[in-house]
Amino acid sequence: MATNEGGDVGDEDGQGDQGNQDDQQAIPITGEELRETFPRAGARDSGDISVLELPGREAATVPNSNVLRPELAEQLEHDLYAHQAEALEALECGKNICVATSTASGKTRIYALQIARHYLDARERAAETGAGKGRQNGGEKTGAVSGPTPTAYICYPTKALSRDQERELNDFYDDLGLDITVRVYDGDTERGETRRQIREEADIIITNFAGVNTYLHDHDRWARFFSACDLVVIDESHTYTGVHGMHVAWIIRRLKRVLASYDADPQFILTSATIGNPGAHSSTLIDDQVTVIDEDGSPTGPRELVLWNPPPQSSEKDGDRAGAEDAVTDRVPATVEAPRLLSHLTYHDAQTLLFTPSRKLAELSVKRAAKHRRDRSRYYTNPDRGSAIEPYHAGHSRRNRHGTEHQLKTGVLDGVASTNALELGINVGEMDATVQLGYPGQRQSFWQQIGRAGRGSKRALSVLVAGHRTLDQYVVNNSEYLLENDVEDAVVDTENDAVFAQHLLCAAAELALDESDAGAGGLADRERLEQAVEMWRRAGKLTGHLETGVSYTGPPRPQRSISLYATTGEEYTVELADGVDERHDPEMEPLAEERVLRDFHEGAVRLHEGQQYEVCAVDHTTPRPSVTLRPTDVAYHTRTRTDVTVLDAVSEESREIGTFTLHFGRGRVLVYHDAYDEVAIHGGKKQAQQLPTGNPPLSMETQLCWLEVPERVESTLVERYRDFSVPELDSDLADTAHLGYAGGLHAAEHATIGVAPLELMVDKRDLGGLATLSIDSHLASATADENGDDETSVGEDPAPQNIAAAEATVRELAMGLERKPASGWFIYDGIDGGLGFSRAIYENFEAVARRARDLIENCDCGRIDGCPACVMDDQCGNDNQPLHRGAAVDVLDHLLASASGDGSVLGSDLPIDDGEDGDRDGNEGGNGAGDEDEHETGEVDDRRPPLFYA
Amino acid sequence: MAGPTGTRVLALPPTTVLERSVATLEDIAATIKPDAVWLFGYAREPTAAARARHIMDVPVIHPPLETADGGTLPRHRIGDELEFVVAQHSRALGAVAGADSGASANVGANSGADTAAGVGNSAADGDSDRDGNGNDDGSKTEPPSADALICDQITTTTRPTALETTLDHAGELAAALPAGQETTVLTGGLPAGYDERWHLDAGTGAVRTVAHDPLRSAEPVADDAVAVRVRGAGPVDGYGGAESVVALEYSADGAVSTAAYAPGDFGLEAITGVGQKTANRLESQGVTTRAGLLDLSVAALADIEGIGAKSARRMHDHARVLESGEPRRLTDEPLPGEAWGRPPLCLDIETDGLSPTIIWQIGVYDPESDTHRAFVERDDPTDRESVVREFCDWLLGVHLNRALLTWNGWGFDYRHLGAFVARHCPEYTDDWESVPKFDLYRWATDREGTGNALLPGRTNELDVVAAELGYEGLGTGLDGARTAAAYQRFMRTGESDVLEWDRHEAYCEDDCRALWHVYERLRDAPRASGVVGSAGSARATESTGSSPNGGGSRADSKGGSTSEQTGLGDF
Repeated sequence: MATNEGGDVGDEDGQGDQGNQDDQQAIPITGEELRETFPRAGARDSGDISVLELPGREAATVPNSNVLRPELAEQLEHDLYAHQAEALEALECGKNICVATSTASGKTRIYALQIARHYLDARERAAETGAGKGRQNGGEKTGAVSGPTPTAYICYPTKALSRDQERELNDFYDDLGLDITVRVYDGDTERGETRRQIREEADIIITNFAGVNTYLHDHDRWARFFSACDLVVIDESHTYTGVHGMHVAWIIRRLKRVLASYDADPQFILTSATIGNPGAHSSTLIDDQVTVIDEDGSPTGPRELVLWNPPPQSSEKDGDRAGAEDAVTDRVPATVEAPRLLSHLTYHDAQTLLFTPSRKLAELSVKRAAKHRRDRSRYYTNPDRGSAIEPYHAGHSRRNRHGTEHQLKTGVLDGVASTNALELGINVGEMDATVQLGYPGQRQSFWQQIGRAGRGSKRALSVLVAGHRTLDQYVVNNSEYLLENDVEDAVVDTENDAVFAQHLLCAAAELALDESDAGAGGLADRERLEQAVEMWRRAGKLTGHLETGVSYTGPPRPQRSISLYATTGEEYTVELADGVDERHDPEMEPLAEERVLRDFHEGAVRLHEGQQYEVCAVDHTTPRPSVTLRPTDVAYHTRTRTDVTVLDAVSEESREIGTFTLHFGRGRVLVYHDAYDEVAIHGGKKQAQQLPTGNPPLSMETQLCWLEVPERVESTLVERYRDFSVPELDSDLADTAHLGYAGGLHAAEHATIGVAPLELMVDKRDLGGLATLSIDSHLASATADENGDDETSVGEDPAPQNIAAAEATVRELAMGLERKPASGWFIYDGIDGGLGFSRAIYENFEAVARRARDLIENCDCGRIDGCPACVMDDQCGNDNQPLHRGAAVDVLDHLLASASGDGSVLGSDLPIDDGEDGDRDGNEGGNGAGDEDEHETGEVDDRRPPLFYA
Repeated sequence: MAGPTGTRVLALPPTTVLERSVATLEDIAATIKPDAVWLFGYAREPTAAARARHIMDVPVIHPPLETADGGTLPRHRIGDELEFVVAQHSRALGAVAGADSGASANVGANSGADTAAGVGNSAADGDSDRDGNGNDDGSKTEPPSADALICDQITTTTRPTALETTLDHAGELAAALPAGQETTVLTGGLPAGYDERWHLDAGTGAVRTVAHDPLRSAEPVADDAVAVRVRGAGPVDGYGGAESVVALEYSADGAVSTAAYAPGDFGLEAITGVGQKTANRLESQGVTTRAGLLDLSVAALADIEGIGAKSARRMHDHARVLESGEPRRLTDEPLPGEAWGRPPLCLDIETDGLSPTIIWQIGVYDPESDTHRAFVERDDPTDRESVVREFCDWLLGVHLNRALLTWNGWGFDYRHLGAFVARHCPEYTDDWESVPKFDLYRWATDREGTGNALLPGRTNELDVVAAELGYEGLGTGLDGARTAAAYQRFMRTGESDVLEWDRHEAYCEDDCRALWHVYERLRDAPRASGVVGSAGSARATESTGSSPNGGGSRADSKGGSTSEQTGLGDF
């Protein structure tokens, strides 16, 4: 199945463009030429670069007349691709569908045609029954349509995409000669009369889910549109995963509920990039059966894929080595290398799109691309050639973004450094090349991005610049991974009660909740619904009973308190400091609490649209928390440190993996962003460290999974690595025999989180971990021992206010433990209420562990403590200390051998002493006190420090 | 304020007392006429307490400053009827519980009919009548039981990740309060309007059940249980921020009602266009009251920094309206429907809640014949159609060519009627849509336009405005929330005698007539000589610091949903 070779044939709607392509048109620069010409200071060694050739694919088409009625079939210039035809047939049968095919495979065309069909059906019906019957609905249509014109609601993930598609769809219907009105209705739509007119007259309304969330409140104003709605389109549906996906899933449930109250029962069309589980994901989103269409019939041109692992830093003469802790960062960072490639490609006339992982990097990359030209002026003798490069991301104003899109399309710009805002189907024309600053994290996203180059059957060039991260290094060293047919599963979860509860308030405000909201086809099963309603009644926000209707009674418009990217619902507005000229207003969108706590503490320096801003105040008071910025100009940016602990974890499910025990459950995770560093923009040197942020901890009740390493494995590995030491380590562990083993747990924790996105469509940033020698002191049972008499005090304990206090709490709990605690590590969902990610890892733990093990084992860094490519994590709260690759591989080997029931590793590894060990082998689960005692004597005087490692 | 005098307690956070001017505090006192002030909160604010005592000249209860003698909690007697026991902190409850058994806190047993709920502005709901009388024997203990325990630490904690709301300090309450009976606890830790009965295990404080219908007679309390009726008096979230001036009124028959205002409803800030900043500026110029502001010429007012000529004019106008109680028309626009020939029919609907599942009463007052007509579903609460259909038959069949008039109908009545007509009587949809519909509230205050009139009254709720304009209501003791709750009970029990139908019809009729009264007063007010086109007036309703239908909007079943009906609702 060759669904992944993205990108070809016209834009999403413009199959008609097929005609004007030059077949096999040469690209201005090939992968090999790129490698040859790219200037380097030192040797010709340009790092590890491989060039892969991906073949094109022939189109599979179906005659239009097989599927479409003559009025439509005859007007289309080109035949339908096989998947388009299949989709239209499924729709004809009344099914909901999910189309999961490559970029530019004509997915928009499918719903555009389906809407045209509905329109023509209605016209025929009207003609049959005679015009005039039924009231005039939807304004005065010219044409013969009377009676309710069917309407369609189309949701795109971004406003930019909405505007783009509005034009495309309107043009399409103009070409077909159909009087179908397509309008965007979102936050940028002028209020008042314009909106009223769209609601009352448009046939197709394009919006986004933030809009739907808000507009549902006044559904009666939409009565005309909703009553006639027979199609809901969810475009780019694969983007709805994680927290955002949960919110969208609930908004869709609320929308369906309101539509049903207007007797509308629309079909759903979802379009998705290629993901591993389009059917399951779509079904969860819309809470209904979905037919998957994923046999891609669109053609694609050949492509060169360059995997570019930057060269060692030391070969650069300006290699600005930034302090001892960064010494491991051997290679030139992708953040530096990728902008250089962008600069180089545009110099060679290749219009290039650089994808960056953050807005900040999009901005920085433009500067760095220019700097590269200056630094290598001997090579780039004409520095202005191909130098029109702009940043692009959602933080820019619409006008600004639209200008950039237009300039790209018309060739005014030579290059753009963009966040994934341009990954989705905005029509910016056909690029010659893409550069990716780091692996985007998912194959799905990877293919989507490179599909931006070489539309049409042109050859395309795509360069992936590997960063230091685990995933990047894995991918460039295992290129077959990219070419496998598997794509990640998208994880969307509706089990998060915090998110459910917020949407329940909105649902009640929209239409009274009643018994029809319970059970199949409702919002939740009866028990969950009753429980949530009772919770809100007790809180004074709902009133009434399901039997007769539950109404909302809280502060007006609960929809406003929903933050689509967070579960806490609190969003911070961004304000400009008093006295600063309005011209400098960054016009930033509101920020989720998690982001504020991490990135917007007082003193933080953020780059936005090329302008640096310093955070001068943060107001955490509800209901209107805010962040105040003022423009600044300094030579550093700030990076926040992160410390984490877990408290009160409760196991809900567990399973044995051989002698290991894996748990899934819930608990409280405290994230501390207590301190930050000032990092020089050039060179990355930390010029000030450990400055206080003044931000409170983020406390989350979330889902976790954790692994308990059996006593015997622990003692073996402690013994094996007892001589390991870390110079100048400031920790209780520093001089203990446990240091090496703890480093192994820590490294294994980083690696398992690092590779999770290889198996699941999770965002690593939504996962966190904690390795510990004392799992038990993080469990609720430990706390209960402490305050066993406190059952009546149901209120939550206040969170320790800083990491030192949190550590003290855990240490105290560890002292009070009755049994010797197990060691291991936690992985948690970094979102209040959880996301289903750690649940997915719990279920796929062996596969994740295998990937992690291979990654660590095969990394060629040659260092005991690993490198950013294997076990180091830049978010680590402990400065990546201690880490021990060998110990980590051993732990994972034991686990995997144990899992497969293969005793050989265990047998040969474990100390062969007396028969008692053998007895215990056969005596699983019997880890009684005897074990401990003996272990303790065996380990002599090593007190196990309870400290933990994030 | 209108209404019979009962004993009034004013609940405020200390910050309001500290931050607002003397004149504003005097205005609050003059408006609410409290018999006592309760400064809620956890921290000691002696300055605020002294300031409140000095300015308002009534006893001040500030729990953190209360002192106890011996093992008992401090008591406050307000007037002849009312007595509160005050716990400085939840720990104080524990001290009492430890000192003696059960009833030692002496806050047990509701004395009489503490029945009224919600944030209305008058008496109890006769539908539920007299709860807690069975517990009167609680008062036999010496000293007699107080009416309520004040403890600001009592609040709820909602943990959505666990789908659970808990009562803080339930353990201490269970230990301190008498078992087998119900005690009312007042707290500034929960918003005004919060009213739930928590049944706790007397031994552990574990929650057994929570009874949600405040109108309903208290359920019998088991001997080993403690019932706590928790009522909030704290800030209510609204559009203008927290509404944290709360008046608790104990009427003669023992019922309690609460009304919430924003601090900005008083003093200079009550004037359109005057926020805290402008008020401070005015005060620095020696202007502290509305009367003082009227002493200043418009020109002098406009000389003050930050006040334009148009807003100065508007401020002046509104100050005069507030001071005189006379409405003022700002434009030459005719009243809505005035040009229609025949006077409009005044309409009001009653539902079962803010997201109605039924419109069970439609009241229409015809000013022409001075008659009122009510369409009521008394028999079958599952029948969503009959009332709407009868109304349509009557209106569209017999009273064609009449226009309709409502107070905030575009926020509630018309919207829901339209939806119910479309759903249950689809054949009337077109006719219904063509009936001319007017909204006096929107006409007067339209946010998108300039507004056509200034109204007296601290909030824009119909009953407040009407009372201010001299309308003498029936005093049914009902409001939208109560009448909705009463109908919900009927829906659940199916027993039609749980409602006093006549009283609920009288309430609806009263609103329709009040509407006409306001209409007439506005009609009789002189028109503006010139058209005022100030954009500043668009802020008229915002600047009161509360939602358009006013600070006490929660009281009105229409309140929440209507509060934004104009511009902002138009997303």
